[in-house]
Order: sequence, then structure tokens, then C-alpha cells
Amino acid sequence: MSPPTPLPRAIDQGLANCEICGKITPVVACRCPRCGAALHLRKPASLQRSVALLVAACALYLPANLLPIMTISELGDVMASTILEGMVEFWHRQAYPIAIVIFVASILIPIIKIVALVWLCAAASGKVHPSPRILGRIYWFTELLGRWSMVDIFVVSILVALVQFGAYMTVTPGPGALAFAGVVVLTMFAAMSFDPRLLWDRLEIMKAAETPPPTLDHE
Amino acid sequence: MKRQASITPWPKPTGGPHPVACHFCDTLHEGSAVPEGSAARCRRCGVLLYQNRPASLVRVTAFSLAALILMAMVNMFPFLSMEANGIKTELSLLRAASELIREGSVTIGWCVAGFTIIAPLMMACSMLYVCGPLLRGRAAPGARYVASWLGRTEPWNMIEVFLLGVLVSLMKLGKMAELHFGVGFWAFAALMVCMAAAVAGIDRNELWDRLEVAAE
Repeated sequence: MSPPTPLPRAIDQGLANCEICGKITPVVACRCPRCGAALHLRKPASLQRSVALLVAACALYLPANLLPIMTISELGDVMASTILEGMVEFWHRQAYPIAIVIFVASILIPIIKIVALVWLCAAASGKVHPSPRILGRIYWFTELLGRWSMVDIFVVSILVALVQFGAYMTVTPGPGALAFAGVVVLTMFAAMSFDPRLLWDRLEIMKAAETPPPTLDHE
Repeated sequence: MKRQASITPWPKPTGGPHPVACHFCDTLHEGSAVPEGSAARCRRCGVLLYQNRPASLVRVTAFSLAALILMAMVNMFPFLSMEANGIKTELSLLRAASELIREGSVTIGWCVAGFTIIAPLMMACSMLYVCGPLLRGRAAPGARYVASWLGRTEPWNMIEVFLLGVLVSLMKLGKMAELHFGVGFWAFAALMVCMAAAVAGIDRNELWDRLEVAAE
């Protein structure tokens, strides 16, 4: 199915694809004539930014899961609840679908996102083989799923607003919520600053290195 | 529809070829026009390049206007109320954020406000501001600036996630109190659908081509 001639790439002709409006302009123009955004052949410092944001997200991941995201005080009884405890409580109450939703959104997706982005960065820098088709799918998936992790923060905000019954029962936000929101926002920024075109660039470099210089032995 | 004729199909700006590059693998394409309802895909990686949506401008204008009306309804009518031990508490989008700020979680409070109120409001307003005048082939003053912020705001609009949050909270509270859904809740569910339809209504390339043609 591969076409006979190599497909032209914008970067080879010095053309930049505007990130905001999608217009193709020579990169020497510096600014997009249509929308005024800064032009780049590739997202600037893409890998450095993604890795830095990922390290920050990893650092926040532990407090996000170990610190309570909310405190429930019921008739003088104060109970701090972490994300994991919230899930286990649903499981014990036999609310399996909701336990699974929380497990996927709050525990699985952040881990998958961090692992996937680390893998993407490693592939783009040539540490592992860049398979753009599979990795591209993974990138698309991480961008799509990232936002759904926010659900636990919204649950906290809803419970805090709704459960205000004075001495009978109140819910207050905990320090884990800030760390968790930080993980979600930082991984979203990391996914945004990653440039999937770097995977294809790496593939081109590897192909160029693998192809031996043309010899006249066979012809 | 009499006015249908005045809404031109996806125009191309004058002068030069208008190539398109795949944002995924950087392959250059001619960017030729596709018939309404079909899409162009990248020859190398198969990713969607652009799509000619049917009745794009009309849809975006209609759905973003509907979204604005629904937003007003969400904030005017009761959203969700809960009764326990004779005390009644009410939930609204504004309260979900402001109670967090009042409890001292200022950053998360503003995040929640940003994701559920500010971002959707900005998006609906800017879509209406950009696409409404474009129906008549005109670009509103500063439309390019507004449109460039539209794409940047999009990932931060999380109303569908908030709705899932409401459902999870209901499961958490279900046994301990009596819950009442208000008109605001149903308006919010409809708002989610309208926002999704408005965002999916027009291709980014088409919107910018139209803006460029309107400014010529």
C-alpha cells in the first residue's frame, strides 16, 4: 500500500502548520498571517516541557492518593477519606458500577496517562522504537481521556456544597484534592505540549540510518 | 429555507494553493475541497485532516445560542436540592465553586468555576460572536482574536465530566437523604448536548477559511 514516491513533508519545505488556525505558511514569516499566532515547525521544546510537566505530575501523584480528598464529620465523628477509600466504600456497598467508574477515572486513567506520555517521550527521543501508528493511537487516547479524571474533584465540590447540615453532618475539602487536581491539570498540559510529529521525525532518522548507501552490486 | 441560498458552501480564500499539513505526521496535502458531509484523511497516517460539515454555520450559531439560554436556565432554576433532618441544602454550579473557596480551597474552587462556568460561557459566547455574523458573510470586529482563543479554551470545558460527578455524588448520598432534581439539572444535561453539538458543528479549517474570505 506504500506509495511509490515519498510523501512530501511540510518541514522539508520550511513550511509551518499554524497550531491555531491550520494555515500553511513559510516558517520565516514568524507569525501566522491569518490568526497572528507564533509559527513553529515543531512545538517549541516539546519533549523538555512534556517531561518536566510529567515529573511534576508524578511528584504530586503520591500526595494525591495518600492525603484525604475530603473530610466528613458526622455527629462529631471526623472521618478523612482518600480516593481509594471512597472507591472501596462503594465496593463494599455493592455499588460495583460506580466503584469501577471511580477506579477507572481516578486511579487507572492518571497512571495510564503518565505511563503513556513517558513512553511517547522515550519513543520520540529514540530510546524505544517509535511506531507512530500505535503510539499515535495512544496519544489520541490520552488526550481524550485526560479530562475525565477531574470527576473526583467535582464530586468533592458537589458534596461540599450539598452536605452542610451543621453539627449533624458536614463535608470539607482535604489537601489531597489540590494535589489530585494538580496531577490532572499537569498531565493535560504535558499531553498538549507533546508533539506527535516528533515520532515520525524519529522514524525518518532511523530509516535514513538503516538504509545502506546505494551499491551497484545487484543491478 | 429561503436564506439557505445566501449561505455559501465552504469558500476558499483567493490566491495561491491552500495546502494542508497533517498535524500528526506533517505530510503536506493539496487541501482540495470535499463535498458536504465527507472528510479528507491523511495519506500517510490516516488521521482526519478536515471535514466539510453540513450546514456548519447554522448549526454552530443555533446550538451556541441554545447553550447560552440553557446556561441562564441552569443558574436561574434550582439544580439539585437535598433534605436531611429537616434541613434543606441546594446545589448550583456557582455554589459548587464558591463553597470550596469559602472553605479555603481557593485554587480548586477557581478550577471548578473555570471548568464548569467560565470555559463553557466563553466558548458559547465566542462561537456565537464569530459564527453569527459569518452567516451573512461578515466578520465581527476582532473575530480572529476571539476565534484563536476558542481552540485554546476547548479542552478546559468539562461540563460532561461535571455531570458524571453529579451522578457519582448521587450514588454517594442516595441512602442518607432525600434528593430533588430541579429544572436546572435537566437544563444542564441539555446544555452538555448543545455544547458538544456546537463544538462538533464546524471544522477549524472551514471556520478560518470563512473568516479569511469575510475579511477580504
